[in-house]
Amino acid sequence: MASVAFAGSDDNLSGRACLSCDEPQGLSAAGNRRLRLARNRLLLQSLVGVVCNLLLWLSLSFVLGSAFTIHRLEVAVVFALLVLAPGMIAMRTNWVQAKRGIAELGEVGTLTLAQLAAIAARREAMGAEFKGSRLYIDVLHDQIGDSLSESEREVLDVIEQISLLNARSTKQREHIARSIKCGKDLNANTHTRVENNKQVIAAIEMQLQVQDEEFKSNFSRIEGLAGEVGALTPLIKVITSIAQQTSLLALNAEIEAARAGSAGRGFAVVAYEVRKLAVLSTQSAADIAEKINWTCKKVDEEMKAAHASLEQYQSGSVLSHLVTDLESMQQEFVKNSEVLLEVITEVDASYEETVTRLSQALGHIQFQDVMRQRMEHVQEALVEMRDHLQVLAARSDDPAWDGELQRTFKAILDTHLGRYRMASQHVTHQAVAGGAAGAVQSNAAIELF
Amino acid sequence: MAMTVLVVDDSATMVLSLKTTLEMSGFAVETAGNGQAALDKLKAGVKPNLVITDINMPVMGGLELIGKVRALPATRFVPILTLTTESDTAKRDEGKRAGATGWLVKPISGNDLIAVIKKVLPGV
Repeated sequence: MASVAFAGSDDNLSGRACLSCDEPQGLSAAGNRRLRLARNRLLLQSLVGVVCNLLLWLSLSFVLGSAFTIHRLEVAVVFALLVLAPGMIAMRTNWVQAKRGIAELGEVGTLTLAQLAAIAARREAMGAEFKGSRLYIDVLHDQIGDSLSESEREVLDVIEQISLLNARSTKQREHIARSIKCGKDLNANTHTRVENNKQVIAAIEMQLQVQDEEFKSNFSRIEGLAGEVGALTPLIKVITSIAQQTSLLALNAEIEAARAGSAGRGFAVVAYEVRKLAVLSTQSAADIAEKINWTCKKVDEEMKAAHASLEQYQSGSVLSHLVTDLESMQQEFVKNSEVLLEVITEVDASYEETVTRLSQALGHIQFQDVMRQRMEHVQEALVEMRDHLQVLAARSDDPAWDGELQRTFKAILDTHLGRYRMASQHVTHQAVAGGAAGAVQSNAAIELF
Repeated sequence: MAMTVLVVDDSATMVLSLKTTLEMSGFAVETAGNGQAALDKLKAGVKPNLVITDINMPVMGGLELIGKVRALPATRFVPILTLTTESDTAKRDEGKRAGATGWLVKPISGNDLIAVIKKVLPGV
């Protein structure tokens, strides 16, 4: 019987509440105090019995005299030997039985007082832990709060940086837009100029061709004229020769007319006229020769002029080369300006992509707010848990507490279902705690009414 | 002239991220930390082309704000989008009855947000 073990060994009564052990080893200090008090009361009762006996004998000796008393004492000794010894034995038995009774009084159901003491020790330890949990939970609560504040500050910094980056990019984009406009204007202007220049070049080339043809025609005509003029030179010799022979013939005719005398006078007149004609022919031939020479000289001058024109035409060919080079340069410029425009346009497209990606990043940053709300809910739950544990700690010290609680952890947890905002919170809750689905949740991220 | 969007949210990160996103897309942005502050701005003469509001806010929540915005003659027909973590369909129905134009759930990407705005603001 458990109570016998308790009664037979006082050491069992001096149990200790070992807060750090899994199994309490005995009574707490308060339990020990109560047991010591009960034992002392028993000892006091026994001493009071002995003292009462002594007082009785002293009173008898005072009232009846010492001889009588001694006589009676002898009788009493005999009586004690016969009666008090069994009485003492009975008192000892009573003492042991009293201790056993106390032990039996401590029994509750199947539990011994030691077991009850161990339970009480555990309760006290748990109560102390419940009280201590307040600080623990407060620290956790504030850690979460500080983490949220810190993450919010950092996220705000990130957004500020993105905003600055965007502002810079916007300025760059304005520059790019201006560059694109300038590039397009330049391109269009260059195209216009090239077209204009092409027309000018075509006109110049046409003019050069006309000039070329004119030069060739003029040159041909001059050459023909020079040939014809040159062809007159032998005729001058023939005319001069005819004139000389005619003059010689007229001279001979005059001689023959003089020799014929009067018969030849008429003939002499004819001969004289013929000689005058020959002189005139010779003079005319000389004039013609002079004019032909003059003409030849002019033809030479014209030929020189034609050569000069030809040289000018050749220099016109150089101009044509220059025009061709200029056109080539313009085409190269147009090509390069188009490449430049493509590069600028590509930079603009990159900017667009940058803006899109920054916009996406800003969307992801919104998770900070989602996480904040979830963590704030956890903070609220921690406060509830802390308060509930404090209630439990207070109740554990209350001797009148019957074990009933107005709110339990389960009831508190169930209230969370009504306070969740996100579908993900419901999913997590139900995955761990199960239970009803609660309010109907929608997974649609975008809904236009 | 750029269109104006009034962003109402008690979260500084949400306000700043939305402001930056919208400004990047060429909108002018006004901000308020709760429904009452937003209402004060509207009464002070701010004329937004669109209102984007959170639902759960201190002082005045989003649902109450929607009702009051609808009661103001100047903003009676201004589109109102809610941007919230709420997924409760009852709350969503409540928003619809209050006069919300659409219900968006956080987080939403910038591209999606701009696409929705283009739907509710023709001509953007």
